[in-house]
Amino acid sequence: MGETQDRLVRCFSLVFPSLAADQIPIASVETLDEWDSLASVTLLAVLGEEFGVEIDLGDLPELISFHAVLRYLEVRTVPRSAQH
Amino acid sequence: MREFVNLTDALEILKQPLPDDAAHFRGALACSFTPLHLQTFLRAHLRKRLPGKQVDLDIGLFGDLQGNVERLQKLPSDALFVAIEWQDVDSRLGIRTLGGWRRTDLVDIVESASEAIVVLKGSLARAAGFRPVYISTPTLPLPPLFSVSPQQASSFELQLRQFIASFASSIAEEPRIRVISPQLLDEYSPLRDRFDVRSEVQTGFPYKLPHASSLAEVFAALIGQSAPRKGLITDLDDTLWAGILGEVGPQGISWDLEKQSHLHGIYQQFLESLASAGVLVAVASKNDMQLVDRAFERTDLGISKDNVFPFEVHWSRKSESVRRILQVWNISADAVVFLDDSPMEVAEVKQAFPEMECRVFPKGDYEAFWALLTQLRQDFGKSTVHDEDLIRAKSIRDAEPLRSATTGSRSLSDFLQSASASIRVEFTRNSRDHRAFELVNKTNQFNLNGKRLTEAAWSAYFDHPTAFLMTVTYEDKFGPLGKIAALLGKTDGRTVQIDFWVMSCRAFSRRVEHQTLRQLFEKFEADEIRFDYQSTPRNVPLEEFFADVLGASPQPGCSLLLSDFLAKNLELFQRVEQIING
Repeated sequence: MGETQDRLVRCFSLVFPSLAADQIPIASVETLDEWDSLASVTLLAVLGEEFGVEIDLGDLPELISFHAVLRYLEVRTVPRSAQH
Repeated sequence: MREFVNLTDALEILKQPLPDDAAHFRGALACSFTPLHLQTFLRAHLRKRLPGKQVDLDIGLFGDLQGNVERLQKLPSDALFVAIEWQDVDSRLGIRTLGGWRRTDLVDIVESASEAIVVLKGSLARAAGFRPVYISTPTLPLPPLFSVSPQQASSFELQLRQFIASFASSIAEEPRIRVISPQLLDEYSPLRDRFDVRSEVQTGFPYKLPHASSLAEVFAALIGQSAPRKGLITDLDDTLWAGILGEVGPQGISWDLEKQSHLHGIYQQFLESLASAGVLVAVASKNDMQLVDRAFERTDLGISKDNVFPFEVHWSRKSESVRRILQVWNISADAVVFLDDSPMEVAEVKQAFPEMECRVFPKGDYEAFWALLTQLRQDFGKSTVHDEDLIRAKSIRDAEPLRSATTGSRSLSDFLQSASASIRVEFTRNSRDHRAFELVNKTNQFNLNGKRLTEAAWSAYFDHPTAFLMTVTYEDKFGPLGKIAALLGKTDGRTVQIDFWVMSCRAFSRRVEHQTLRQLFEKFEADEIRFDYQSTPRNVPLEEFFADVLGASPQPGCSLLLSDFLAKNLELFQRVEQIING
């Protein structure tokens, strides 16, 4: 797993504490009952703290799975390892 | 030291597992906005403050603070947290409704706000009848709806702030209501960093995350306050005043602006303030007592000699002085703060009493001095000052003859007979006795089992049909001690079950505990009293009392028969007045 993915897994494990580690990479709005609108807002806030990005709520409709969030972050953030 | 908690930290805290049988703390959060992260932060901060407890939080409906207070107060809970914002006094003071900000609207907003506050106050007072209520007054900036420039406060704005200030000052007088300190919140969370306009518009949650965390932190701190310390022992030279008394004499010591020793004057004023709220103040100083007497005769001294007791003034070790002071006060070292300008003296006392809070007086360091006063407020702060607090120091001073009697050749019985003691015993089913509640939650030595009660558990105790509260108020010719004992119990036929029994250490050696038992037997015509006794590291005085009346070391669930009690044939000299109240 890449660094961004590791950090994202940690964020998911905090917002969805009942989710087993191996289930996180395949989590999506459709497969996870707890992933409601409140959880989405909490996830965005945690991502904001972890990655220093301000995610607009207007982007929520596309952030519907772990992989979608990962792709979104990879485009908008610089990995820590690449920061000086 | 404050540790800031961000949302990730909060979720980490909440993720920590608890045992299946962990005790629960059930709170309720009333606000009109989406509680969202405030709920998360509040649960996390409460988990930090209440280690080992599962924290559950009920919430209300969006947009209806008044209704939420009404609804949530009907649920069983240990505490109700109420976060009031400007839109709760008039929705036009928020930004999610577009009700108009014309100048003519402002008149109406001010009028409706004053009415809304009255209604809210009534609901909160009712809610406080069932559990403690913790309130934050509006924390967010008012929207820019006034016609004046931002530099100017409009009369409308000032009226709104006046309504809130007046509401807060009046509701804070309710015994079970605590209003969080706006000043502390200002320190934790600057005004400019509070309002999240985007979040408010998009999700209905108006707080920036750091502000939500800070507000939750202050709420939780009110719940998890540790018992206030009871006594402060101070040095004199270069602490209570500037200068060495033995070198410069009583007129040479100072605490004024001219000699740049004003901090010591502030310190005297602060100690007098503590003493006036029932904190015990004593002196431990390597000095000459005659000179100290003359120094305390100075009329410009900021603390009265009457408010200081005892004085340990001699050339022996400070730890010896402290030991004697603790004996006179009859309190444990962890309830005391020791202050001295000498780091060596502080270290010597700390070594002898590791559990005592020992601090160096920061002479000449203004910032450190200010921090010290703030810390002392934290150490000694109490939510309510009772009548008993006001007579504590005097009663300890007045008990000096009693201490002499119990250690001298004259028998205790002779002394007690001449003490003209009177006791008022009150039996009630009314749970609103905050002094009794406080006694149960802070007394250590004469304590049946060391158990503490939340305010909600205290109220719930009286749900049992035979539950009662017994309190004992004592006075003798040396002065009143106030309400010094509290018992919670139930009856079953001619058996009394005592679940809680505490008595202030100031009432020791007066046979108040024996009289308490006699009154219990008489009031309930009981044949037997059972006790939920448990040994604790600190309830040795109670254990010794039980060993005496039971004739053996007490065991959990021990009981006392009327026949055995009468066989002791103990002389009790107090005049007793019994009051039955509800």
